[in-house]
Amino acid sequence: MAAAAVGFRLVLVLFGGDLHLSSRPEVSTPLTSLRRLAEGYWLKQASMSPYSGSMYHGSPLLLSVLGPLTSKRSGGHHAHIYCSLVFVAVDFIAAMLIRLTGRTLQIARGKSLKSLDLAKSVNDPVNASAGDTASLIYLWNPWTIITCVGSCTSPIENLMVVVMIYGACSRLAPLAAFGYVMATHLSLYPAILILPVTLLLGYGPDTPPAKVFLQKGSSASKVDISDIGKSTSQRGFGQISWKPVLHFMLWVFIWSCYVLVLNSIILNKAGGLQEMFEKTYGFILTVKDLSPNIGVLWYFFAEVFDFFRSFFLIVFNMNIIFMVLPLAIRLRHRPCFLAFVYTAIVGMLKSYPSAGDSALYLGLLGLFANELAEMQFTFFLFFGYIGVSLLSPVMHNLWIWRGTGNANFYFATGLAYTCLQTVLVVETVSSMIKHDRKLRLLIRT
Amino acid sequence: MESSAKEDAQPKPRLIVRLGRLLASHHILFSALCCSAGIIALLFLPALAKNTYLSENALIPGSANPLFSTEDVAEANKFIKGIEAAAGESRDGMGMPKFIVQQMKELGAEVCYHEFLPHSKHFHPLKFFTSMTNDLAIHPNGTYTNSGTNTIGIIRAPRGDGKEAIVLVTPYNSQRVKENELLSLALGFSVFSLLSRAEWLSKDIVWLSADSQFGEYTAVSAWLSQYHNPTFVAGVTNGPDGIAEKAETTDFKRAGTMAAALIFKVGETRNYGDRDSVTMYAEASNGQMPNLDLLNVVHYLAVHRQGFRVNIERISSLVTSAWLRVIAEVIQTVGSLLRKINPDWKLDIAAPDYVEGTANLASSIYNQALGVPTGSHGAFRDYQVDAVSLEFSPTFHLRNENAKSSFLVRGGRLIEGVVRSVNNLLEKFHQSFFLYLLTAPSKFISVGVYMIPFALLVVPLPIVAAALADGGKTEGKSMNDHNMKGSADILQVDGGAWKWLQSARVLLVIQIWAVIVSLLPYYISQIADGTPIQSAVIWVVLSIIVLIILYAMLGSPYSAGVEWKLLKATMITSISIGLGLMSIINFATAQLGSLIVIPMCLFSRPVKARLGMNFLPRTVLLASNIFLAIFGFPPVILLVMKGLSKGTWTVDIGDFWVSMEFLWEWSSATYLYIFLVHLPCWLLCIHVLVHPCRQAGSKVKWE
Repeated sequence: MAAAAVGFRLVLVLFGGDLHLSSRPEVSTPLTSLRRLAEGYWLKQASMSPYSGSMYHGSPLLLSVLGPLTSKRSGGHHAHIYCSLVFVAVDFIAAMLIRLTGRTLQIARGKSLKSLDLAKSVNDPVNASAGDTASLIYLWNPWTIITCVGSCTSPIENLMVVVMIYGACSRLAPLAAFGYVMATHLSLYPAILILPVTLLLGYGPDTPPAKVFLQKGSSASKVDISDIGKSTSQRGFGQISWKPVLHFMLWVFIWSCYVLVLNSIILNKAGGLQEMFEKTYGFILTVKDLSPNIGVLWYFFAEVFDFFRSFFLIVFNMNIIFMVLPLAIRLRHRPCFLAFVYTAIVGMLKSYPSAGDSALYLGLLGLFANELAEMQFTFFLFFGYIGVSLLSPVMHNLWIWRGTGNANFYFATGLAYTCLQTVLVVETVSSMIKHDRKLRLLIRT
Repeated sequence: MESSAKEDAQPKPRLIVRLGRLLASHHILFSALCCSAGIIALLFLPALAKNTYLSENALIPGSANPLFSTEDVAEANKFIKGIEAAAGESRDGMGMPKFIVQQMKELGAEVCYHEFLPHSKHFHPLKFFTSMTNDLAIHPNGTYTNSGTNTIGIIRAPRGDGKEAIVLVTPYNSQRVKENELLSLALGFSVFSLLSRAEWLSKDIVWLSADSQFGEYTAVSAWLSQYHNPTFVAGVTNGPDGIAEKAETTDFKRAGTMAAALIFKVGETRNYGDRDSVTMYAEASNGQMPNLDLLNVVHYLAVHRQGFRVNIERISSLVTSAWLRVIAEVIQTVGSLLRKINPDWKLDIAAPDYVEGTANLASSIYNQALGVPTGSHGAFRDYQVDAVSLEFSPTFHLRNENAKSSFLVRGGRLIEGVVRSVNNLLEKFHQSFFLYLLTAPSKFISVGVYMIPFALLVVPLPIVAAALADGGKTEGKSMNDHNMKGSADILQVDGGAWKWLQSARVLLVIQIWAVIVSLLPYYISQIADGTPIQSAVIWVVLSIIVLIILYAMLGSPYSAGVEWKLLKATMITSISIGLGLMSIINFATAQLGSLIVIPMCLFSRPVKARLGMNFLPRTVLLASNIFLAIFGFPPVILLVMKGLSKGTWTVDIGDFWVSMEFLWEWSSATYLYIFLVHLPCWLLCIHVLVHPCRQAGSKVKWE
């Protein structure tokens, strides 16, 4: 199946030359567009700052990695065929890492259930392992495919997030730190994932909440004092293992120094780090580009009066940060799931969202297939996603090409999309909490 | 104890959820009500039409005295004589373009030729979706002799900046010119010569005399695509031998952005009414219409200033049909009753008006639904230029000189007036409606009104889908409850919430099949150059084979044990998405399609399902199911439509191919609708109908 997905991508890359996906606002944003990257590369080759002219807003590292590939052209093919081949490989690696993460989670789940003596009563509704499901969802998700084929750099950003989660899950602090630093460097928003990563490194992968273990311990002590219950209850919570966390912090420091040095070397003659921060992070945070995308911010900032602009910029950027802490407190026993929720929220509220962000969190969603088996409104969500993803190009066509619609039409699909994502986040979180509650009830009986 | 614990665990649902549940529990009543209301609202549409009004104040039609006078008529007559002579002299058909160019040059206009090749039949059903800049103009090379030649004259506006232009188009056949075409050319030329002297122009005037030997649409669209897609040809292009090799005439010349376009021609058929009439054609591809203000200006000037009778297309068989008359009477009485109840409800409409309005409306809906432009104005709409075609049908014989000159005066003044109004515009047409249906030249139904019947028809779909999906789930849950009693386990729900995934897979398989079927003609039309019947047979056979292969590869719909309720829920959801999308792309198609698809979906039930009802309702349900399943099949619909319109009921498979070819050649979205929305829905309906209904029963038995 995975090979088929890769094959399908290759077919699309090699023969789907006239799809024009790279110009779709749903696929490429000002941050991730490969066309802009090519422009930035060209500017850099002309020994100018790649950020001059307000075209390129990505990382200088990407310039030196992907830049040479954009300038090579093979006649008659996809414009950026070499880059697309890289993206196919990147997608495949990401899917494999998701699969490995899923395996780790599965083992952790099996362990914790066994320690709770629930392994028999809670059997997995999904036949295949969650990791396989998740990686297949990631590979066969149409949005991942169009993101991969549509020449934009989001596959790389997604890979970095996946690397980080994988590294944290399998307790490889250097790898996790590398993923974290790169993901933050590329698109800033994954910075909030530091909480789940720390929790993952500190407590280990997802477990049922601590209360369950406590209950188990108490009920076990009533009957007979078993060692297993005690040991798990001591292992599962209470003490955070600081060593990997400190390890991680150290590595984050090292990697970020490394990345900054590399960047300053690349930007040595043209511009400096100051300009890089202004043109990448500043561009993300101040929502300078108001060209339409599937988010809601472009419309809002196109409409808002100029003297309110900075106020609303603060409000919208704080919006993401406000949700970080409460969620972390509520879901601290499931750091991987917390990471999924964060990516979903970021995908919804970031300033230049694209289909690639949704591809990432939908792929991660598959990791929790067993826990979320009883989620509500799945039918509605599934068809909602299909409907919105079909509606969006039609509305765009109506507005831009036919001229019979206007910006409100397109924005309406953006709103609907955001609502769908909200419902998805709310439902996944509530069904996860319900799942935990059910485990507690099972222990009690 | 467990169940009570479970109830404790579940909080009370929110109001919106409870409301949804309430609607879902009464979904049969609700859908019956909504559907009948939708059909009634559809019948009331002609009564709801409003009079048109000029929305854009800048247009001020008819405010200036027309300058077009008998002098211009004399010029037109001179032009006719000259062009007749020129056409007689030359053998290769280049005489007329040369003559026109020469005449225009004498007026001081910039001129050029534009050569183009006839369009070959292309399979591009998705073209409407991609931007127009993608297809580059095909340049004829000198060796290819059989190309058409458009002649273009441009008057630079004395008061303008050359950023905007108004386009006048007169189609004529350069190979075999007819008298009516000469007259329309003369009309065009006289207006052009008047405008070349006009002081008040602030937009450039482009006069395109389009060579319609391959159809006028081809000529105009070829010119437009070259106008909008500049090609940079290295080296010198050699014009064909017939044309004077002057750079000034072979270079492609452009004016500014087109503000509006007016296509006018004199019809062949003589009109035996009391007044000369003008027929307006406005429907462009995929049901797009020009801004209503343009039609308003033409209608106002033609009726109130120049005394023409303005028509729009109508389905004339409807005017005489008896059953429509009956409906009209009913509507009239209902309308007057309602008027008595509340005088503000102006729903009463005289029966003849209703019949007339329905005939016009039906034609309007039909033309929009077909998605094929009714004339060369469609080519303009592809570039977001508002355009309308006017076809004059004079009451006199074309040899009658007196009548002809009076006609020329009035026609010229009409065109001059429209140009003047458009010339006043400072912005694009935006004030009035783009989405409307016409019931008379001066009556329209706006989008806000004609959406109502469609919305009423579509609203039951999500609710029924929710009811069915929920029903399937609760059934599963109750079954699992039986399990739970044995094993005392709450978590033993085998993915109840995800049960629909199986039916979604069936939907996916069928959609893949539909995509393949819709793409097959591309290959069939390339490989086989057989008769339509052969192609159609190949198409049908291939699609059946593909379906079987897909089932073999991905599993047949019944092997996985899909509940029919979930299957139906999936089908209904997919069809509501499809109809919703189509209503945005082309509303009329969605409206017509919904009339067929929605009853088909809502009625569909397995033949074998135990319904627990009496014999009579059961047979009625069964019969209506089978009836709808037969009449939902696209070729059958086509046959019925043909039979109704022409009265011939012969079954010809080739016809289906021909009509589908017609649709994809014009890149009509209706083709996509038929194959990506309607056909899968029909197939799913058939699947539901022949569903074995084994699973539920056998599972109960096992337990």
